[in-house]
Amino acid sequence: MKSKTRLPLLFFMLSGWLTLCLSASAQQAMPSDAQLLRTYNASREISLMGRVVKYETSSPLPPMGAHVTLQTASGQVDAHLGNAKVLELNHFTLNVGDNVRIVGEPMALGEGTYFAARIVQKGTQAVALRNANGFPLLPASTLTPAQKEALRGVR
Amino acid sequence: MNRLITALVAGAALWTAACGGGGATINPPPPIGKYSLATLNGTYAFVTSGEAITSGGVSATPFSRTGSFIANGGGGITGGVYDIVNAGGTSTTSSAPIAIMSGSYTVSADGRGTLTFNINSNGAPATVNFGIVLTSTKDGLMMDETASTSQASTGSGNFVLQDTAAFAAGVSGAYVFDFSGADANVNPESLVGQFTAGGGVISSGIEDANDDFNLTSGSISGNFAPDPTNSATSGRGVATIAGQTYAFYIVDSTRVRFVSINASGVGPMLTGDAVSQPTVPAAPSGSFAFLVAGASANGGLIRAARFDVSGGTVGKLLMDVNNAGSETEFGPSALTNASTNYDSTTGRGLVSFRSSTVNVYSFVFYLNSASSGVMQEVSPNDTSPAFAVADGSILAQSGSPFTSSNITGPYAMNWSGLVTSGGSFANQDEEDLLAQQTVKSLNFTGSYDLFQFTGLTLNLDRGSTGSINFNGGDGTGGDGKSATMDVNLSNASPIHMVVYFVNPQLAFFANRDNNGAQRIVAGILKAQQ
Repeated sequence: MKSKTRLPLLFFMLSGWLTLCLSASAQQAMPSDAQLLRTYNASREISLMGRVVKYETSSPLPPMGAHVTLQTASGQVDAHLGNAKVLELNHFTLNVGDNVRIVGEPMALGEGTYFAARIVQKGTQAVALRNANGFPLLPASTLTPAQKEALRGVR
Repeated sequence: MNRLITALVAGAALWTAACGGGGATINPPPPIGKYSLATLNGTYAFVTSGEAITSGGVSATPFSRTGSFIANGGGGITGGVYDIVNAGGTSTTSSAPIAIMSGSYTVSADGRGTLTFNINSNGAPATVNFGIVLTSTKDGLMMDETASTSQASTGSGNFVLQDTAAFAAGVSGAYVFDFSGADANVNPESLVGQFTAGGGVISSGIEDANDDFNLTSGSISGNFAPDPTNSATSGRGVATIAGQTYAFYIVDSTRVRFVSINASGVGPMLTGDAVSQPTVPAAPSGSFAFLVAGASANGGLIRAARFDVSGGTVGKLLMDVNNAGSETEFGPSALTNASTNYDSTTGRGLVSFRSSTVNVYSFVFYLNSASSGVMQEVSPNDTSPAFAVADGSILAQSGSPFTSSNITGPYAMNWSGLVTSGGSFANQDEEDLLAQQTVKSLNFTGSYDLFQFTGLTLNLDRGSTGSINFNGGDGTGGDGKSATMDVNLSNASPIHMVVYFVNPQLAFFANRDNNGAQRIVAGILKAQQ
């Protein structure tokens, strides 16, 4: 049994109107908003829908980790997916042309911004990538109780 | 079993992708120095923190060990016990630490060596292996290098000679502590604080907690009890502090090591030391360097910095940040609005500064002496949600100017953090390095062991070179000129570090760019005495 986050259908029905062009909204963040972008706040979450243009399990661009470039109705958006092993452990694959939905929000890093993904969904499969406070999940975060119990063998 | 072997083979291929870049093969120098098997003789308290994967596991998991081993001065390990906790909380229990049945060790003249514990794991014999570099006759750095058919594990740590005569006194007096790791849900957690103990109870104490970016602060209570089976030989006991159970190991009258244990198998993974606070020091004065590491919502985070403080006025700031692979150096003109406050009844203080109106950095610290303490990031304003969960050490700088005249001789080097691999499934995972370097004219040569968990790639006894550059400054950073260090590992691209010297015997460092591979690593240089 793999750990997955299955979201209520209502969530996605509501999220459609929240879909924004993240590259634009992030770059246009006003200074007064900038400090907010240093922390993850679930109340700021939005949903992106788009087609995968590029997927890298380890992008040379920060933040360190997996990135996906989505072609949305408003343009291309780069989203940080965290640790690619979390996707792998959930048997979640991303390929060019896939249609996906990503729940997350823009975050500031250095002098720029990026889109921090908390949940990625393809078809009926959704996987949590961050916790509610934005911390990128570790592969160990996804272990089942049985898998955790097996860790008693670690010496 | 096969999975691990396959991964080890695959790892060899990944190495080129992760660290390639035209670096030359560097042969390790012959070991020269004053150390021998006889140097390691006595009872030592040790800690390592890192990752492990077992033959039946589906992914590596963070874990920490804390315990005690006995070295006989002739290459034998004659006993000991240790506790272990994994992310999520599975752990040893208060009555059943892991027994070190026997073991062995080696020590070369340069202080490098190996350490092997023979244990029983689930009823079957097993071994765990470490690399070590002695930093004196009383302590050293160590790295988990276990790569057996049942478990691969890495991690960095250290060991300190225990004063067995101090075991009977228990935990007594005032202490400053820093416990870090993860909560029961594998979210980052940091606890720093101060307590006074006597008669097996904490009579007073305060704590600053950052659990998953949520800051809390308040009083704590607790109690300590010796382990009836292992206290006399290892200094082990069991404590409850702020409701959490810990196994502890008394090092001596000045230091106690803690690791969280959870009878239910669910709980936090926390480890750290409590260091005695003989008297509450006066408000900090002088030059200080600090290093904190942890996580932000972007990923791994390291801040290395220094400042001067006098009469409550903070200046001459310099800070290097690696936030999830995005590295920035903030020079003196970039950091403003610095302030500090200090409670002379507990040793708790706060230092704050900013690089812009939206980038405010704040750190709580607890001093255990006028020259040392623990630190926890509480940016931006000591209110939740915090920017990060990170903690570390703050130490007074002394012995400057740092030059080729006093930064010279043999040093142990250790770093730990994250690295990205190449290959068909490029990813990020833990990297640990343990090295011995001889510095001469600010150039160094030596040998290292490196474990990259991206491909379970363990490289032993490789050669390394490098250089330290003070860039025209006095080495403290107080003149605004940062010190840097380039490390050349065999067959790898140079790794560029920024260095904050505490004194000629100790420096903090962190990578300052992503040359060769994306990294988020920090470590120490420690002179071999």
